[in-house]
Amino acid sequence: MKNNYRRSYAYALSFALFLTYNSPIFSQNPPQKNISGIITDGEDPLVGVNVLVKNTARGSISDLEGRYSVRASANDTLVFTYVGYKTQEVSVGSLSGSLSGSRSRSVSRSRSLSHSSGGIVFNVVMEVDAQALDAVVINAGYYKVSDREKTGSITRITAAEIENQPVSNPLAAMQGRMAGVNIVQNTGVPGGGFSVRIRGRNSIRADGSEPLYIVDGVPYPSQSLGDYNLSPVIGDAQSALNGIDPNSIESIEILKDADATAIYGSRGANGVVLITTKKGKAGKTTFKIGSSTAVGTVTRRMDLLNTEQYLAMRREAFANDGITEYPSNAYDVNGTWDTDRYTDWQEELLGGTAYYHAASASINGGGAFTQFLINGNYREESTVFPDDSKYKKGAVLVNLNHTAPNDKFDIQFSGNYIFDSNDLPPFNLVREALVLPPNAPALYTEEGELNWEEGTFKNPLAAWNGEYLSETNTLTANTVLTYRPIHNLILKANLGYVANTLEESRTAPHTIYDPAFGLDSSSSSLILNNGSRGSWIVEPQIGYDIALGKGKIDILLGSTFQKEKTSRLQQSASDFPSNSLIYNPAAAANLSITANSEEVYKYQAVFGRLNLNWDHKYIANITARRDGSSRFGPANQYANFGAVGAAWIFSEEPILKNNISFLSFGKLRGSYGSTGNDQIGNYRFLDTYIPSGLTYQGIQGLQPVQLYNPDYGWEVNKKLEAALELGFFKDRISVTTSYYRNRSSNQLVGIPLPGTTGFPSLNANLDATVENTGWEIELSTTNFQKGNFRWENSLNISYPKNKLISFPGLEASTYANTYVVGEPLDILLLYNATGVDPETGIYTFQDFDGDGAISKPNDLKSVVNLSPQYFGGLQNSLSYANFSLDFLFQFVKQKGRVFQYTFSMPGQMENQPIEVLDHWEQPGDQSGQQLYSAGFNSEAYTAYNNFYSSTGSVGDASYIRLKNIALSYTIPQKWTMDVGCKIYVQGQNLLTFTKYKGLDPETLSTNNLPPLKVINAGVELTF
Amino acid sequence: MKTSNQLLERSFKNIFLLSLLLLLFSCENLEVETPDHLLTGELLFQDPNAVEAAMVGIYAALRTKVILTGDSQGLSNLLGNYTDEMDYYSPFGLPEEQFYKNTLAANDPFVAELWNGAYNQIYAANAILEGVTDSPYFTPEEQELFKGEALFIRGLVHFYLLNLYGDIPYITTTNYLENKSAPRQATEEVYTLIIADLLQAKALLPETDSSGEHVRPTESTATALLARIQLYNENWEEAELYASQVIDNNGWEPNVENVFLKTSASTLWQFSPDESRKNTIEARTFIVLAAPPFTRAMSNILATAFEPADQRKEHWVGEVSDGTNTWYFPYKYKLGLGANSSEEYSIVFRMAEQYLIRAEARARMGDIAGAQADINKIRARAGLANTTATSESELLTAILHERRVELFTEHGHRFFDLKRTNQLDAVLGPVKPGWNTTDRLLPIPEKELLVNPNLQPQNPGY
Repeated sequence: MKNNYRRSYAYALSFALFLTYNSPIFSQNPPQKNISGIITDGEDPLVGVNVLVKNTARGSISDLEGRYSVRASANDTLVFTYVGYKTQEVSVGSLSGSLSGSRSRSVSRSRSLSHSSGGIVFNVVMEVDAQALDAVVINAGYYKVSDREKTGSITRITAAEIENQPVSNPLAAMQGRMAGVNIVQNTGVPGGGFSVRIRGRNSIRADGSEPLYIVDGVPYPSQSLGDYNLSPVIGDAQSALNGIDPNSIESIEILKDADATAIYGSRGANGVVLITTKKGKAGKTTFKIGSSTAVGTVTRRMDLLNTEQYLAMRREAFANDGITEYPSNAYDVNGTWDTDRYTDWQEELLGGTAYYHAASASINGGGAFTQFLINGNYREESTVFPDDSKYKKGAVLVNLNHTAPNDKFDIQFSGNYIFDSNDLPPFNLVREALVLPPNAPALYTEEGELNWEEGTFKNPLAAWNGEYLSETNTLTANTVLTYRPIHNLILKANLGYVANTLEESRTAPHTIYDPAFGLDSSSSSLILNNGSRGSWIVEPQIGYDIALGKGKIDILLGSTFQKEKTSRLQQSASDFPSNSLIYNPAAAANLSITANSEEVYKYQAVFGRLNLNWDHKYIANITARRDGSSRFGPANQYANFGAVGAAWIFSEEPILKNNISFLSFGKLRGSYGSTGNDQIGNYRFLDTYIPSGLTYQGIQGLQPVQLYNPDYGWEVNKKLEAALELGFFKDRISVTTSYYRNRSSNQLVGIPLPGTTGFPSLNANLDATVENTGWEIELSTTNFQKGNFRWENSLNISYPKNKLISFPGLEASTYANTYVVGEPLDILLLYNATGVDPETGIYTFQDFDGDGAISKPNDLKSVVNLSPQYFGGLQNSLSYANFSLDFLFQFVKQKGRVFQYTFSMPGQMENQPIEVLDHWEQPGDQSGQQLYSAGFNSEAYTAYNNFYSSTGSVGDASYIRLKNIALSYTIPQKWTMDVGCKIYVQGQNLLTFTKYKGLDPETLSTNNLPPLKVINAGVELTF
Repeated sequence: MKTSNQLLERSFKNIFLLSLLLLLFSCENLEVETPDHLLTGELLFQDPNAVEAAMVGIYAALRTKVILTGDSQGLSNLLGNYTDEMDYYSPFGLPEEQFYKNTLAANDPFVAELWNGAYNQIYAANAILEGVTDSPYFTPEEQELFKGEALFIRGLVHFYLLNLYGDIPYITTTNYLENKSAPRQATEEVYTLIIADLLQAKALLPETDSSGEHVRPTESTATALLARIQLYNENWEEAELYASQVIDNNGWEPNVENVFLKTSASTLWQFSPDESRKNTIEARTFIVLAAPPFTRAMSNILATAFEPADQRKEHWVGEVSDGTNTWYFPYKYKLGLGANSSEEYSIVFRMAEQYLIRAEARARMGDIAGAQADINKIRARAGLANTTATSESELLTAILHERRVELFTEHGHRFFDLKRTNQLDAVLGPVKPGWNTTDRLLPIPEKELLVNPNLQPQNPGY
């Protein structure tokens, strides 16, 4: 025992002595000299090249002209490093010594040196690293991998693409740029939501297909805290990703296949979106300020009837119904309203111009060891509505990095704070703009008051006497500590915190109703919604790499601890003494709490990765994760996931390398593995009781609402992928083709139960399987690269196919009339519209069950697939001297519900698109649309209702959009006194080509505003 | 530089070691506490007040939504339309439409609702039984009371299911794994189980209801139901015995006008109304405000079945007229929406039925005088002279008539009486065009058969 202690003490002492001996204090220093020079790549000076004196704290960075200067002695070694170029190490001793004469012959051409009094001038030419693809390092989440050697399917966009787009939500910046990723904007209103599908829909539940979002290694909760009941204008609820500022993003990587996502285990089934924020870069302290202004209008409008056509329709409709005396409430035709008036309501209500103003500033700098970045942004967006609502967003990003001079350790800190406020109108006017009769009265009277036209006009602007306000705050902070005790070993800890708060309110004062009703503030009401969420994560990791001859083994082992707490409180208040007190719930006579919840989510995991790389030609990647989540029943809280990926860079094989010169890169890769999905609410497996709302003997009764299911567990998604990556003519043409097949089972649904159990269903895992297969093609070409002119193209196109493979018990479940086994999930079961009967002028439908009546569900037999057939984008980047032009066309081929689904029956008191002018008028007419009716013909009415649910209500909704175009010019520095100055003009959604018969083929709705077409101009100064 | 490096190194090492420790203890449990705003079974069965709330939750459900409700989807209305008590006038699909036309299909949503609603309350009752039995959180007295009420509910609800659907599964546990494949059990077997539950309940329930309003079941309620069951099963002695027990221990409301008030002395068990409603749901369902009726009304057959001068026609049947025609409606409960005070509660068990049960049992056993005495008790209150029936068959006819005019639209007595005396076809065949013999049983809901094949076969005719 004693001996052991003595021995270890001896070891420790000698180790300590060893360390101290190596410290600079004890080493003998010969005299130091000044070494300086210019670093170039053979032609141009290289800015920001790191020059270090090895094992000391001394170093320098090359400036804007490639100049560096450093003090070193003959014993020292200088190390030159720069991303994308081969690192060079030069011993100072080899530089000093005899003058240029004999020396220069034996010195390689990459160096030239001369002596000057007191210093050495040593110019360096850096060589490009031949493995150019290697230079592109992709963030795969827990590790980084070069694009060339990755075994998984990862797609990426960088700040370069994001900067070109005048958007406030990062999801908008990703549209049309990444294969397999389908992002649809739900509404053109600022702050609105997006739907994101990576390789299709995996879950039978519509809300179970969100990907996992990670910002700087910290999982970012993407469920909104908002309640869409408060502001239907937004479409769904506010997008939680408004809390990420696009200007602070350096890159976005999307992980798709099992190899890339299995390491995220139970949350990777729907893909992983990795967002990396900008980091400080070494170099002279640089200031950047920018400002831009944009204008936006609605991308599309519909062609609607004018007053003459509209009134003709109404008159014909009444005539068809056999009514000669117009009813008293038919104000448009019976003379109450002026029949000569015409208002283009789309112009009036949606035709405004939205103005965007944005300003940004950043400071970036640092030396060889410490770098920092501070970035601030502010943005204001108004809307196209005729009011002064605004969306405001401010963001601050702080990034600090520090590396110890002995390169043994590293600390990195990033903090992001975003604040946004939104005072959108409380009610949507989109539908009103489309259906208000063209001769409806003016919105305001001559005195400037809201016009109710003596109670005959339900003024659409009245609803705007109410207000919607929302404020959100988001803070993400993240620290990464890395320690390299010995050469191959890395110890890392990732610590992160995300906090969100949301405060929303909507008022409905009595002034939203016609004053003729004689209401007062006792009819006014208020709804308040407050939510907050905090989540922290700790991930300690160990990485080790071993070199064995031509091979390399990388091992990673880590664990995750996460806890998230969400609380929400929603209150509703009504009956106020005065509208000036409407924001004070204490003043209301009726106050109730409509929702109150506090939820905790705990998550833990262990994960690992083993990467085997032989000669940079044969690569295998094995990843695994064991997860536990509090969302699942006690019997099923833990599960295991894993994947195997492999790649063969066959272009490096001697046969191909030496003989087929035009093939510069060829790789075959594949992967297979399993991932999970835990996107369900918390506490779903508990047997809960709730107040039934019924009292008995004055006591509020409690009733059980669901069964206890301890086996409630994960959805499992097994993914298979194979891909071929090719590069031709020194990678001037690169094409990647991948095929994937994902099968998702163990679906979390309400499994139908017989009533004898007491409940109609159980939250449980069903052995139903959903399959997503598809092809993805990514092609990029450098068409021209000569002198100052460069033209690059890139195309991505995805062909997804979705299928419900099995669903035992479908007929007895609540999904019986929604899904069909063998068809995709996004289908509609509809009546088959068989045209208009030429004799009666009424829509006919196929009577599948032959019972003489058209009824649900038996005649809803036509299956129409709403999922996109293919989608993608074509990007062009041209640059000439200091100009650069980028534009992206996005295209989608799909079907969608057309105008007949949302407009009412033609002939009623609502405007219609001009397509209705071609309709049946008398017996013998052949037409696609039935006769006009004012609502008094019950056969026509029933037929029109059935038409809503028929194949006639679905049509082609494919489109091509010029999604983004950006032209920028960097003014040559000699004209601007060394201040970098870039001016730019950008456009978003400028052109849309589509045959769609409806308002917008992307939002596919007449309730939501279409995306806006925006033109943005700005300037950015760097000094 | 060197010192700060060391500091950083040291603090980093500490953090790392700490996280390594956490890693080692990664079998930490992921249990999260039930949040404050959710109540689970586990927590509920630790608090007698919560269990009381759960128990009244069952009564509230029976009163408002499930089988015994006076709402249009309850048995009073549905079976009234199914037989010859009510006529249906509405053109829109009200719950009783298919019942009235006797065209019930296995996918009828209201048939499914009767089934599902009933089994949902059976689950709630079983949950209380399981949660309370031998639990340290309840005193023996509390346990007895809750168990008594829960067993009574279980027997009562299964009784109705049995008489509607025929052979049914008898559910005694909350374990869904067992219940989801529970098979249909023979009627006799189910009756045995029901009787066993009710006898146990009878022993556990108190003699009187502490509220003083007869809103909770008591020993007499359990006995009353036992009397009815024994009558249905033709066990005349037991029926007479139980009925006598109830009659001897409870009062009698002599005034025909007061029988359906909440203070009626004849009431054995009634539902306490919801705070917002104050009175019965039956009033809103059955009272016809204007002629012609646009939902439902009493059938003429029933309206004309009363003997002349029968006070029950006078006080329990309302009428509306449009000048030419007159329509009648059940008017037992008179206070609908808008009443300011609470005067009427929905009655589930009352004394009149017990007298009629005893009369029938006595008639069957040959006790003519006894039977007559009981019949006359009812008739006297209705202002009628004594019965003239003297033979058993005459008495049985008279009793059936009395039941018809006394117990109309009260949870399906008419249907069950005609069914147990095998007179459905004879009586309803001539007057209901859609009537088939197989209509004596309701169809088992279609979805049930799809999800639980052990419930096969479906009842004949569907």
